[in-house]
Amino acid sequence: MPKIQIDLKSPVAAYRQIVDQLRVLLVEGELPPGNDLPSVRRLALDLGVHFNTVGEAYRELAEEGWLDLRHGRGAKVIERGVPATAAPERLKEFRAQLRNLVAQMRAAGVSPAKIAAELRAAVEGLQS
Amino acid sequence: MNGEIFVALMLVAAEGAVMLLLPHYSPRRFLFAVTVTPGFRTSEPARDTLRRYYRELAGVMAVSALAVVLLQARPELAFGLGAGLPPVAGMAAYLRERAVVRRLMGPPTDVREAELTPEDDHLPAWFRLAIPPFAFPAAAALYLRSHWEQIPARIPVHWNFNGPDRWADKSVQSVYGTLLLAEGIMLLILLLTLGMFYGARRGPQRKAILQIIVAAIYLMSCIFSLLGVQTVFGFAPWWIFVPVIGFLLFAIPWTYRLVHELPGEQTPDECWYWGQVYVNRQDPAIFVQRRVGFGYTFNLGNPWAWIILGAFFAATLTLILVLK
Repeated sequence: MPKIQIDLKSPVAAYRQIVDQLRVLLVEGELPPGNDLPSVRRLALDLGVHFNTVGEAYRELAEEGWLDLRHGRGAKVIERGVPATAAPERLKEFRAQLRNLVAQMRAAGVSPAKIAAELRAAVEGLQS
Repeated sequence: MNGEIFVALMLVAAEGAVMLLLPHYSPRRFLFAVTVTPGFRTSEPARDTLRRYYRELAGVMAVSALAVVLLQARPELAFGLGAGLPPVAGMAAYLRERAVVRRLMGPPTDVREAELTPEDDHLPAWFRLAIPPFAFPAAAALYLRSHWEQIPARIPVHWNFNGPDRWADKSVQSVYGTLLLAEGIMLLILLLTLGMFYGARRGPQRKAILQIIVAAIYLMSCIFSLLGVQTVFGFAPWWIFVPVIGFLLFAIPWTYRLVHELPGEQTPDECWYWGQVYVNRQDPAIFVQRRVGFGYTFNLGNPWAWIILGAFFAATLTLILVLK
């Protein structure tokens, strides 16, 4: 059963960490369509965060088309159609994020070859 | 040596043993109720804190035992000192070493993990075993009703070291009061347990505590039922210590092993006061795993914890006042 981990002392908001990790699991197929997620109350209790934090994360993923939120119950993973190509503005946004990430990795001492290998592995992971 | 002094010395010894066990009766990830890195417990600084704690505890025990012996002429004072000094002075030593470990470990990380399982959060079916013990006091009451004539006109309701020291006239209240009190307390414990199950994070400790509570309800039901019918049989109530001690001899080693085997729940160190009291307004849990010992404690930062605590004490007080 997949798990998510959040760091409450991280500068990244808890809800953002939940959204990002769930999206990775959804994209990589670890959470296939038809799977039920824990209820908002249960996940919030298990992570030790406010109910609204999990509720907001689930809502964002529902707006992206990943989840079906059923009132008073959990969330269900649904089939999501992927756009054929991303809009140019979105592509520009992703490029900026990637450059930022690569810069952070370089600043932390990761070699360009290692960064390239990591990126390749991540993309291959999504294709498999 | 009189009986009171002997009991006071035994109490000092028992409390000393509990205090000695305290730093070890805790999941591996904690020492003196502080989150520690893997391997820290076996490091030299950790051993130093434990050695200092044992030394201070030995001193406390020696002073307590000496005070009890010297105060033989005043048994109440000796007993009070024997009961009070070891936990208070021992806890002070514990908190000193806790402060040392906190300084050594620095600010802890606060990483939480959750399984994405939608698994239904239901009580295990075997928890229904907690219901049959409610029939024992009822059966005892039926027995008393059918043997009403054999119950003496005055019945003992309180005992001291030398035997009964308070009596009550035979009445419906004095005869059935103990049994009704037992039913009420068992019901409150059952409700509190349900609150704990649904108000705590999922984890293996949650089911283990249910097992202990079911066993405790059986024990309590048997003891109170036999206490209720002792008015007919007239036996001394000292025997109740036998099953209680038997239960503790089973429960303490069992929970001691479980505490080490099961993963300790991660909660922020800064929300634990004196290693025992948890207050975290950000945490939606009503109950959290204790860091010392086995079981759960209230998250006093959650308003529901206060509501449940208030209701529990109000109901207990009402039971006692009504049945007195």
